[in-house]
Amino acid sequence: MIKLFNISKFYKPDIKALNMVNLHIKPGEFVSIVGQSGTGKTTIVKTLIGEEKVDQGKVIVGGWDITNIGQREIPILRRQIGVIFQDFKLLPKKTLLENVSFALQVCGQTSKKINYIVPQVMKIVGLEDKVHRYPQEISGGEQQRVAIARSLVHRPKILLADEPTGNLDSINAEEIIELLLKINKFGTTVVLVTHNRDIVNKLKKRVITIENGIIVGDQAVGKYIL
Amino acid sequence: MIILSFLRVLKFSLQDIGRNIWLSIVTITIIVLALFTVNLLLVVNEISQAAVESVKEKIDVVLYIKPEAEESKIFALKAKISNLEQIKEVKYISQNEAMDNFKNNHRNNPEILQALREIGGNPLTPSLTIKPVDVDKYEEIIAELSAINNEIIESRNFDDHKIILEKINAISYKVKEAGIFVSSIFVLIALLVVYNAIRVVIYTHRKEIGIMKLVGASNWFIRSPYLISSIVYALIGIIATLLIFYPFLTILQPYLEAFFIGYNINIISYFTDNFIKIFGLELLVASLINVFASLIAVGKYSKV
Repeated sequence: MIKLFNISKFYKPDIKALNMVNLHIKPGEFVSIVGQSGTGKTTIVKTLIGEEKVDQGKVIVGGWDITNIGQREIPILRRQIGVIFQDFKLLPKKTLLENVSFALQVCGQTSKKINYIVPQVMKIVGLEDKVHRYPQEISGGEQQRVAIARSLVHRPKILLADEPTGNLDSINAEEIIELLLKINKFGTTVVLVTHNRDIVNKLKKRVITIENGIIVGDQAVGKYIL
Repeated sequence: MIILSFLRVLKFSLQDIGRNIWLSIVTITIIVLALFTVNLLLVVNEISQAAVESVKEKIDVVLYIKPEAEESKIFALKAKISNLEQIKEVKYISQNEAMDNFKNNHRNNPEILQALREIGGNPLTPSLTIKPVDVDKYEEIIAELSAINNEIIESRNFDDHKIILEKINAISYKVKEAGIFVSSIFVLIALLVVYNAIRVVIYTHRKEIGIMKLVGASNWFIRSPYLISSIVYALIGIIATLLIFYPFLTILQPYLEAFFIGYNINIISYFTDNFIKIFGLELLVASLINVFASLIAVGKYSKV
């Protein structure tokens, strides 16, 4: 599903964000990428959504070589990958329903299809009663659930979660992880980027550890070892 | 699908204007101020031009005819002069008309009227008042008129209009020059202010633009609502300017008439006659600036 072949990414003047990283994530896997801040975890996510281009190596997502992806192809890639972030990234002037619908509207889906899909995903994340509220009118945990709902509307094969619990308390964080596990059970590959030790240890799933841009650990049922 | 996307973009655009109402009001206010300034400069320019033209209009050449001249000969001379290329109009004023005009002009001066009565009879002569097509060719006209040798001509009044004309032309030229200079500066300021206002609007949306890109919106889908908003801002700006400017002109007009007595200055009809030209051009320019500013600003904030 995701293949990284010897990828390296440098930032000026002499920062090596990623250094000869090799990674293979199979379809349906739930993988945690762990490491301290500034070790290159987010750079991997940015590479996978076409926000950053690698300086060396090859990036393949769902069989598509996106190493040198063009600007016009990036929107197409992003419609196939669900992404959630620590700061939720919801449009503040749109209601929850509009935020989720927007992801379908941008790719020209019909209103009929949008009206069918959006209530379903809002139900999956448990926010079907709050669809007409604005992001600032709900809690952080609920905002993250809206972001998850938005990422699910395209029925993506891959869901990238970059520090999704970073802004949440432990109860909300656990709810979000439960939701990610539920999504994974439906067959979606989930890549969780985090530095939350408790969450990773509880998951008992594959853990990839990064330190200074290099993969230093890859365990099938791993723990947070740093 | 294109129509569906366009309708969605239109909806987003109008939604955006409504949900950012204060920002929209500020942007439109800036556009209105800029347009008002430009129109005010047009008013100043039009007044000065009209004043100069009115003064030019008053310049004429008079040929005084011998009192005993037969009217048929006078009319023949009138026809001859009328046929000259540079002549706009030749008006014959008979001896009696000249008297009536004189009395009318001096009706409030009993001493002059008394003197006229004492002289007895009609001491005034008939005349031909000649208006040129272009007062700037005054010397050519005088040369032509001087060349006419006709026994019925008693005298020619070519006065010292030349000096007046030179002064008028100098003032006219300076007014035009100053008008273009001041207008250019104000238009440039207006352009920069409007351009910046639109950029500020988009700067406040930079986070949203990033989010739109992250969920897979194409550049076209992100840019279009801002482009439409820009045109809507320009359109509302023009309408608001019209709503403010015409009442302002209505208030201004009586003052102008009182100040420029005897001059034909109608600033309202100037704007009405040139409505499409002035406001159409302003709408076009305002829209183009807004669209240009939007394209640059969105491009800058959508590199995610």
